[in-house]
Amino acid sequence: MDTTIIAIGLGLGMLAALATGIWVAVALFAVALAAVVLLVSVPAGTVLATTVWGASNSWDLTALPMFIWMGEILFRSRLSEDMFEGLSPWMRNLPGRLLHVNILGCGIFAAVSGSSAATTATIGKMSLPELKKRGYDERMAIGTLAGSGTLGLLIPPSIILIVYGAATEQSIARLFIAGVVPGIMLCALFMGYVAIWSVLNRSKMPPKEDPIPLWERIKATRRLFPVMVLIIGVVGSIYAGLAAPTEAAAVGVLLSLLLSWAAGTLNAKTFSQALMGATRTSCMIAFILAGAAFMTVAMGFTGIPRQLAEWIGSLNLTPYELLAALTIFFVVLGCFLDGISVVVLTTSVILPMIEQAGLDLIWFGIYLVIVVEMSQITPPVGFNLFVLQGMTGHNIFKVARMALPFFLLMVVAVALVVEFPQLALWLPHNMMAH
Amino acid sequence: MRKALDALYRLSAALAALCLVLIALMVVAQVAGRILDGARSLLGFEPLGLLVPSLAEIAGFLLVGASFLALASTLRNADHIRVIILLQMVPRSLARFLEIWVLAVAVALIAYFAWNAALLTLDSYQFNEVSFGIIPVPLWIPQAAMTAGLAVFLISLLDDLVVTLMGGEPSYMEPLPDHDLVEGTE
Repeated sequence: MDTTIIAIGLGLGMLAALATGIWVAVALFAVALAAVVLLVSVPAGTVLATTVWGASNSWDLTALPMFIWMGEILFRSRLSEDMFEGLSPWMRNLPGRLLHVNILGCGIFAAVSGSSAATTATIGKMSLPELKKRGYDERMAIGTLAGSGTLGLLIPPSIILIVYGAATEQSIARLFIAGVVPGIMLCALFMGYVAIWSVLNRSKMPPKEDPIPLWERIKATRRLFPVMVLIIGVVGSIYAGLAAPTEAAAVGVLLSLLLSWAAGTLNAKTFSQALMGATRTSCMIAFILAGAAFMTVAMGFTGIPRQLAEWIGSLNLTPYELLAALTIFFVVLGCFLDGISVVVLTTSVILPMIEQAGLDLIWFGIYLVIVVEMSQITPPVGFNLFVLQGMTGHNIFKVARMALPFFLLMVVAVALVVEFPQLALWLPHNMMAH
Repeated sequence: MRKALDALYRLSAALAALCLVLIALMVVAQVAGRILDGARSLLGFEPLGLLVPSLAEIAGFLLVGASFLALASTLRNADHIRVIILLQMVPRSLARFLEIWVLAVAVALIAYFAWNAALLTLDSYQFNEVSFGIIPVPLWIPQAAMTAGLAVFLISLLDDLVVTLMGGEPSYMEPLPDHDLVEGTE
């Protein structure tokens, strides 16, 4: 049979499987199995078992549960309170004032957690009620949180970058380091927007609060210092080549337990909740990755990605045109799928296309993650929207409207990263470990 | 029956969590050994060459245990991702039908998967395959954990299929007491 027809059939089958509510991992396995059985004469069952075994037993991938566990522990500590109390005294005098707490708080929590939902919830738990109490514009309070919560994906440690690294066999350490500058850049874009907005909309800002003396500020921030040390330790040791990501993460777990113990939030209940939460989340992701590995092998057998790459190659698109088309494709896909699924679905099919276009795979990972971040705040499926719906009671479409300016800022960030690839690549090229 | 099944899922999840704890302990031990050696060489002593043998391989094997043994518990806590927009939009009778379809597909696939994982394990056992590292670990051990995890997952899927066919709600649709939305993934 004609490969094109089968390829279209498999694509439609995948869409149907996902739309009817089949679990993403199961859908990947099922469609890949169908592809192998229909198109190639290899023992499908043996290929399935050996591929999954090979993909699942990986040292690099052990970083995944460790970082998830670290985030789960800190999520259950008093970091949320500490973050608001520690950051707000410093923000009082900036234009936009306490709205910046959302952005910086998310940026900092993102550096200990790889999850955007956890980042949004941890920061929002404390900041949303406080901002409301002080009379800040609700649209901005929720919008800044929705937007900057997505930083959890980009700023290392990042679960989705581990997934991308595992699916494309790129160095997770380099991907992490590549995410640092674009992450800080996004923070700066968000803060700049908030500052400009607040100057233009003075009437919507609450009355100014009295500044706090420097010493008082430092005292209010003291409980944040251990977390800062943790962040610098984890990211710094990876950058300096002192520790593999798994090692940094396991030490991070230990230090997070110590922090939580010192704050008096560590007990049998929080420990087991964090551990079981981490076990299940990493199980879910590892199973999707196993499905993606099988899909990649199946696609390799069928030759579909190579033909797709040739077809795209024959169109003679410039890299800009190709990336513009991909961005739109990912954003649409991201409206209906979560980020991890978008990453694994696409890497198994379009990677040859990216390689043929001569794009750096580390750079492409960062680009992909920013685009996936955008999908966190696009309805009807966006994890940050779900979290904020739960926290504020507004429906997801309303939350999405509030987050729209931040979605557009991310489009700007994508354009900047495309135009200046060094934003992502300079740091990893200068890493001490190669 | 209900109690025995729930105990099976809990035991399996506990073993998965134990695998994660073991990974963390081994890696921390390795890092501690390296720091100690670094300190010794700074002070002019001979490094002891402390390291956890075959750490990378054994951690990888433990990860297989953690990932697969937790499958059933992850299902029952509704932590496996899927798209539910359609399920929420259609009338209840159709949603029930879709739920049965979803479970039936999963049962068929995981049964096939578990069977082939068992064959792989048996192969490794018969040919006495071991890992390449300093400590040669027989591959059938972690592969048996993978097979066992898939088997427990299959049982839990069958469990939910039977419950749904008898008119009940599958475990992952019931609201959990202390499940917050946030324990999400990304």
